[in-house]
Amino acid sequence: MPTSLQAQLNIYSHRHYDSDKILFKNFTDKTGIEINVVKGSADQLIQRLISEGENSPADLLLTVDAGRLHRAKSAGVLQPIRSKTLYKNIPTSLRDPDNQWFALTVRARVIVYSKERVNPNDLSTYEDLASSKWKGRIAVRSSSNIYNQSLMASLIDANGKRKALEWAKAVRKNMARAPRGSDRDQARAVAAGIADVAIMNTYYIGKLASSSDSKDHKVVEKVGVFFPNQKGRGTHINISGAGVTKSSKNKENAIKFIEYLSSSEAQDVFGSVNYEYPVKIENNKSDLLNSWGPFKSDKLNLSILGKRNGDAVKLFDKAGWE
Amino acid sequence: MELLALKSKLFRKYLYKEILFKLNRWTISSLFIGFLIFLPIGLVILHIGSFTANWRHITDTVLITYSINSIVLVLATVLFSCVFGISSAWVVTNYKFPGHKIFRWALVLPLAIPTYIAAYAYFDILDLFNPFLIWLRSSFGLNTMQLANDMLVYLMTALIMGSVLYPYVYLLARASFESQGGHFINVGRSLGHSGKSIFWKVVLPLSRPAIVAGISLVAMETLSDYGAVKHFGIQTFTYGIFRTWLGMGDLTSALRLAVILLGFTLSILYLEKKIRSGARYGDKSTKSLSYKRNYLKGKKYIFALTVCILPFTFGFIIPVSRMLYWAWLSKNYLIELNIFQLTFNTLTIALLASISTVVLSILLGFSSKYFKSSIVQSSNRFASLGYSTPGAVIAMGALILVGYVSSAFNIIISGTMLLLIFAYIVRFLAVAYQPIISGFEKNCDELNDASKTLGVSPVYSLVKINLPLIKNTLIAAGLLVFIDATKELPLTLILRPFNYETLATATFDLSNQAQIIESSIPSLFIIFLTVIPIIYLNRRIGEGR
Amino acid sequence: MSTILTVSNISKAYKKNNIHALSKLSFECVKGEIVSVVGSSGSGKSTLLKLIAGLEIPDSGQIILNDNVVNGESIFVQPENRNCDLVFQDFSLFPNMTINDNIYFGKNAPDNKSMIGELISLTHISDILSRYPHQISGGQQQRVALVRALANKPSLLLMDEPLSHLDSALKESVRGELISILKTLEITVLIVTHDAEDALTMSDKTVVLNQGTLEQFDTPKNVYKYPNSEYAANLFGMTNIIPLKLLPDSNYFFNQSSTGQDVISVRPHQIILDHGKKSTSLPEFICQVKNIYDNGRRCKIELEYKGLLLVAEIENDNLLNIGETKSFYIRLN
Repeated sequence: MPTSLQAQLNIYSHRHYDSDKILFKNFTDKTGIEINVVKGSADQLIQRLISEGENSPADLLLTVDAGRLHRAKSAGVLQPIRSKTLYKNIPTSLRDPDNQWFALTVRARVIVYSKERVNPNDLSTYEDLASSKWKGRIAVRSSSNIYNQSLMASLIDANGKRKALEWAKAVRKNMARAPRGSDRDQARAVAAGIADVAIMNTYYIGKLASSSDSKDHKVVEKVGVFFPNQKGRGTHINISGAGVTKSSKNKENAIKFIEYLSSSEAQDVFGSVNYEYPVKIENNKSDLLNSWGPFKSDKLNLSILGKRNGDAVKLFDKAGWE
Repeated sequence: MELLALKSKLFRKYLYKEILFKLNRWTISSLFIGFLIFLPIGLVILHIGSFTANWRHITDTVLITYSINSIVLVLATVLFSCVFGISSAWVVTNYKFPGHKIFRWALVLPLAIPTYIAAYAYFDILDLFNPFLIWLRSSFGLNTMQLANDMLVYLMTALIMGSVLYPYVYLLARASFESQGGHFINVGRSLGHSGKSIFWKVVLPLSRPAIVAGISLVAMETLSDYGAVKHFGIQTFTYGIFRTWLGMGDLTSALRLAVILLGFTLSILYLEKKIRSGARYGDKSTKSLSYKRNYLKGKKYIFALTVCILPFTFGFIIPVSRMLYWAWLSKNYLIELNIFQLTFNTLTIALLASISTVVLSILLGFSSKYFKSSIVQSSNRFASLGYSTPGAVIAMGALILVGYVSSAFNIIISGTMLLLIFAYIVRFLAVAYQPIISGFEKNCDELNDASKTLGVSPVYSLVKINLPLIKNTLIAAGLLVFIDATKELPLTLILRPFNYETLATATFDLSNQAQIIESSIPSLFIIFLTVIPIIYLNRRIGEGR
Repeated sequence: MSTILTVSNISKAYKKNNIHALSKLSFECVKGEIVSVVGSSGSGKSTLLKLIAGLEIPDSGQIILNDNVVNGESIFVQPENRNCDLVFQDFSLFPNMTINDNIYFGKNAPDNKSMIGELISLTHISDILSRYPHQISGGQQQRVALVRALANKPSLLLMDEPLSHLDSALKESVRGELISILKTLEITVLIVTHDAEDALTMSDKTVVLNQGTLEQFDTPKNVYKYPNSEYAANLFGMTNIIPLKLLPDSNYFFNQSSTGQDVISVRPHQIILDHGKKSTSLPEFICQVKNIYDNGRRCKIELEYKGLLLVAEIENDNLLNIGETKSFYIRLN
């Protein structure tokens, strides 16, 4: 007989997608465990966990970006989990080596290009975007966004700090305008003719396609999707994931919940409602995602993204990429 | 040297007397409460900490950028606010024309719209310029387009923020113009000056303190905005604070930036005070002569109408109509949003905040005035700093406080309503305190002397004399806090309890997920909640309560 | 005769400009006395009242009220506990209460119903009791303020410029009323005024205050006749400062600080014009008439005597011409 304590699960979540609401509801229906959510940006949530210490009521941290999960781990607010289910469902490169966090969805950071003005054969790698042929033609969002920082972290790891800095400087010079707006705004800029290529996450393309504003549908029609670095290390991917907090008073419930999210039922919801790739990318069932074709993803262990995050931000500052 | 020693001896004696003779239940509790309220900000200042390598990086790279951007944005926003606010205030005060009565109060309405909602309402405004920019590029090259783009960003952001912040200047300018009444304007007229020359040579200089006060409010609001600058990508100090704290995980450096920002806002306030106190502008609210106003016809009428319609359109009509349209588009989302729970939460916090700030202001203000305690007065000034401090910084201070309390007393205050309301009090005390202490000063100082000699207790004086006389001020103060609390965003985002959303946080979350259309619903509710007290307050001011 | 108020060496300076409002001031009030404090504006009069009432704290010195030390080295009795009421210059009636509620506001008032009833009829305000302060005239407000203070049965009543808000016609009648009430109740009163007329007609003793220091403490009549400084002399009306050597018979003189000379104050009415009756005992001055100002009852004459400018006040029916030289006589006190 579950006591009121057992039937609770307190989540600090950065994710605020509709898919999550569905999944919370499904989980509660299945298990009878009540879910309480505090939404916030990952950094604020991590800060809050640090301040609250062992008295924190949170059981689970649910957030996007591996860098953030790494930061939470470094701050000592997560704890290692043993779960055969999780080990089975989630590939090794997509979980923390010490099992303190687990990926639940994947998103790729791709290049979208104007079908009218760009020949896809001109596209190859992220690094190529630094070349002069792209002068005044690129649109990317601000460096304060975690997805750019993680991309930069992977570039630092692949090419070293000096080359990464040069790349950032050159790409900034190649931008059609100063960084502004969200990933979707970059696609819109390409469609409008301000820029010819943009860097953005895959699920945003899905969101544009299903937007209630018909203008966004037209944007999707005008752009093509290109997966960079296919001949090399693979396209940069990032994740959203979860970790159980060190202070958790409902550890069992938390583990149950992550296991549920890694199940194929939940993974399908992520794909269909939110256009995110499941952790096993090949299991993807969404038509839109499939239409872009399979791709080779960077097998870099994502904890590196967190380790290099500080360097990434500093290099962006040095490069003048706002 | 001797003079210095004498002065310090006198000062110590003075201090001794202040402390010895004026310590009682009122003053001690006021000092304690004032200290508590100042604590989060004090903790932020204390945590500047040791010089880190990261700080060096910040000073090398972005500190100058943050400073310049902040200054440029503030100046541009102030410019728009002044143009909108002063011109409309003058037209509405000095001329009669069909509709002038309506505009008089309608021009205040944009105050109901927080800067972040204004930014969302105009979120795609820059896209309008795309064809123009593309043409620039094809005619003049890439560099020209980029330059134009950069300027446009600042221009549009300043225009948008100026459109919803100009009422601060408008209200104060209007009050100043109206209170000057007939005197100087009649004198000017009898000496042969035209309307325009009277305005520039007589009225404007006399209104300088009021306008400066309005400008400083606009400047502070601009500096503490996060939603609009984030959306349009302008790297101001506040933007930098969030980026350093959250983007770099460097709380210490972020706090340093926060202290610099605080220093910046304080110097604005100091400057403002200097400018205002520099001259005696006839503070006494004497009944003003109403003077004969010119009735406008024809071309002049059109001009006056334009001056009034333009700010009102940018600041209210356009945002509200867009959002009404979007709300219609997303009406199905209403149920999912649980709008009534959100409204209830917002109302609860706003009411609790306004009631507690008013009650505390009464205690703090009365203690300071009745007992003529300069120590309490200074303490109150510290407690009022919250309004000049961005909400995010206060939240950071509150979290630091939480850390100490948690480790010392092993209790949870984080994530509770108590902490949230406390943070709101820290943030908004000044909003209630300023009018209330001014009310005490104008109405009660001498009467308190009388009641003291008549032998009655302080409580008796407070209840029988002070409170009845400042009743209207109390209501106004409460409403002002209510309006600000309803709009509050960054502080709530950081400190909210479990499952707790307000209309503001819902708006932000939805917009952040690029569900701007759906965000119109909570936005409209916020506007609705704030418009009513604004209209009420406006009417009261007009009546010359 | 017991002393109600003792002020010893009271000093207060204002931090803003370091001007001393009061400097080592000392004097006493005896029970039943009406004492006036006279001085030009800025001489510290209002500050003195505030200190005695306890509304401000002196820098040094002692105040004893009713044999209790209320201000001392480390003593400060709150104003609520001093049993000392103040009638303010602008009356400070509580605008949100009726006259009746104003009067009964004081702590002791409810215990003194019968006395208050008498006061109300004495001051003729019984028909305005249910009105509000803004609905009554200045003169009525003044009376209400007085009754409110007296209703509290203070041991010392302080009044700050009680008549300054009244026009001159009203002043005359109010002065008379005020005195009769105060004397009837045998109240000890300290009145601050800039108008020496008040001091002369109302008070038993007067304190002459100059820039915060006590210049003279005597009956008003004595100060009028025998001021001990030019300042005190001028406070009580127009006067002539004449060197002692011109009037050697005078048994009173003071030293004029600006010249170091010994001088006498001679009021204008002390300079007379002999109608023809020779009063040989009076010192004679042959002066030239410089100007004649006729103000109805009396005439103000400006005279010149060997370079000294004098002002005389004579009856109107003397026919004088400007430029004439005539004999004038000074009647010493």
